[in-house]
Amino acid sequence: MGKLRQLALQNVVPILFTVLCVSGIIAARADISLPILANDIVTRLSRNLFLVLSLIIPVVAGMGLNFGIIVGAMCGQIGLIVVENQGASGLGAFFAAMGVSIPFSLIFGWLTGLLLNRAKGREMITGMILAFFANGIYQAVFLLMAGPVIPLHNQRILLDGGIGLAITIDLIGTGGQLDRLLRPSIPFMGLPLFIPVATFIFIALLCVALRGYLRTKSGQELRAVGQDMHVAEISGINVDRTRMRAILISTVLGGLGQIIWLSNIGTMNTFQSHEQVGPYAIAALLVGGATVAHATIWHAILGTLLFHTLFQVSPIAGQILLGSAQIGEYFREFVAYAVIGVTLALHAWRTRRS
Amino acid sequence: MKRVSKAWVRGILLTGLVSFAWACSGGGETSDSADSSQAADDGKLPFKIGLMTGTVSQGEDEYRGAEAVIAQYGADRIRHVTYPDNFMTEQEAMISQVLNVAADKDVKAFILAQGVPGSMAAIKRVREFRPDMKFLVYEPHEDPHQIADYADVCIMPDNLKRGETIVDLAKEMGAKTFVHYSFPRHMSQELISRRAKIMEERCASQGMKFVFANAPDPTGDQGLPGAQKFILEDVPRQVKQYGQDTAFFSTNCGMQEPLIRSSADNHAIMPEQCCPSPTHGYPGALGIAISEEDAGDMGAIRQAIHEKVAEAGNTGRMGSWPVSVGMVAIEALTELAIKAVEGETGIADQASVASELQTAAKAEVTVLPFEDKQNYYMFLIESVVF
Repeated sequence: MGKLRQLALQNVVPILFTVLCVSGIIAARADISLPILANDIVTRLSRNLFLVLSLIIPVVAGMGLNFGIIVGAMCGQIGLIVVENQGASGLGAFFAAMGVSIPFSLIFGWLTGLLLNRAKGREMITGMILAFFANGIYQAVFLLMAGPVIPLHNQRILLDGGIGLAITIDLIGTGGQLDRLLRPSIPFMGLPLFIPVATFIFIALLCVALRGYLRTKSGQELRAVGQDMHVAEISGINVDRTRMRAILISTVLGGLGQIIWLSNIGTMNTFQSHEQVGPYAIAALLVGGATVAHATIWHAILGTLLFHTLFQVSPIAGQILLGSAQIGEYFREFVAYAVIGVTLALHAWRTRRS
Repeated sequence: MKRVSKAWVRGILLTGLVSFAWACSGGGETSDSADSSQAADDGKLPFKIGLMTGTVSQGEDEYRGAEAVIAQYGADRIRHVTYPDNFMTEQEAMISQVLNVAADKDVKAFILAQGVPGSMAAIKRVREFRPDMKFLVYEPHEDPHQIADYADVCIMPDNLKRGETIVDLAKEMGAKTFVHYSFPRHMSQELISRRAKIMEERCASQGMKFVFANAPDPTGDQGLPGAQKFILEDVPRQVKQYGQDTAFFSTNCGMQEPLIRSSADNHAIMPEQCCPSPTHGYPGALGIAISEEDAGDMGAIRQAIHEKVAEAGNTGRMGSWPVSVGMVAIEALTELAIKAVEGETGIADQASVASELQTAAKAEVTVLPFEDKQNYYMFLIESVVF
């Protein structure tokens, strides 16, 4: 009995979210279509999981939740902009965008790593502010320099004056490429349920790679640094280099994840798409039961599933329960962020207790 | 042992979720079909229309427009949902809302007002399983050339032409300087940046000074409060520099209220809001309480604004459109949507769009196609000066 109670306490956040999701579905059942809900959840899993997984390595390395992932997302978008500018199309274009994003991710990830190594213990808030800073530079570069300085010439992605990128870019060449590759459907309550198998295989490969990497010597060093920097340093591990490695991996994966995300959506909000990445991926990871000090692949999968189910269900549930379209929207915001707040508070409480 | 039990907990959570979902499914479908058969008997619309607007905190006009059409056709015929307040960053939530409404087979047309970013993606997704769905978009935020390929009809106030009419109106009100508030993200929207250029040229030809003032982005780090505070502080500065005969214009909805208030306080000129309507910014800025029975009565609201502007000693220096453009657009699009579903052809024609807008506005409306697009229209309603 005591054991069960302990288990429940340990998993209080996922349990709370499951209860919320289930009660949301029950409340909204008159207005919600289950096949659409199922399709949307599968799509959102395939769309978001890669990004959420890219957060795991810095957590293992004791750097907390990498809010700097937004920098990676920007690099992913640079890849997409370059490829769309060339007018390339197809699966090749999709992977080319990934290829283009990696060197940028490495450069900016390295700079992020330098900064975070000077801000040990405050990585999360530093990463968050860094993202605001990087956003300013990104806007300046693509609003003022795209066209005259950076040789972008495709009129489809540029503003009419030829200077600056359009606010939205329809990803004609790269959109949906990986998803369409292998997307069988199974009948589910009268409507087809599409499963983007190729995307899931890609994500599974990442899971295997992450697991494998964490078992290598380099991965073990990450763990050691994550557990205690001081002890790791004494046992001969170069702490700064190990932390740098964690951020580099996370930034590169963040860039690739953003390309998967945008390619699935099909259009890119040139100046804002990256902003939503950090908080949402982090929230999803926390919802899965991860903490700033401990995160696994399972946390990522469960968290993405629960977080996005709630996001889908709660506005409709709120609308039905409270009888107004806009209250449904406020209900969603309130519920989702309240639970995230509770997650962080619980973690602080537990750390203090132990 | 610990690992195993953890896996168990996760397994139970997942199965619980899935099985509950299955269990609830029956209820949903029966109630839907019951709804539609009953509605057909009542002589109401035999189909439903999906309608997405912002919440009142984003912009009241569209929400009130939605309430008006719901009052006319019934809440069971118009499925009204709202997009997130933070629509720029919560695109996924917006797409999900559209998908969920579109899953209802009785919904035959969908009105997006406004067409916030994500609209194109949402239309593409819905058409995957509902190729017959009609999409009517008011004020698309996305690139006009791109969205016109996906939507059936797009309408928006003629923002390019307004570049000229607003400056002309400011001139008539006695302006010598024209201050244009915006920020880089807005200036990357093609129509807004083109309008700014048109305003600048028009000012030059009218012998007025054009000032481009950079304001903080309300979706940026300072948020809307930061942007509003900036406007309240900056208008007196500009008036001090250029004198009271300065006209102010801002491209952002959230900035209208502080802009109107400080224009009235400083006896400056405010020719028109970004989205012209008597209800946009004026009631909040001038402290006008709209009673329940006056909520949709534009005449009463205009009269109240007249009185408040006179009290502030700024008569003849503040203006807007006589009706709420958001409300008019939603009413007109709803009528067009009904006609489209009933099989009437040519709903995207200039003439039918113009006639529906005119009926809804009860005023003179000019409608012109955007460049060569035959389903993307821009309209203008004559101004009113308070």
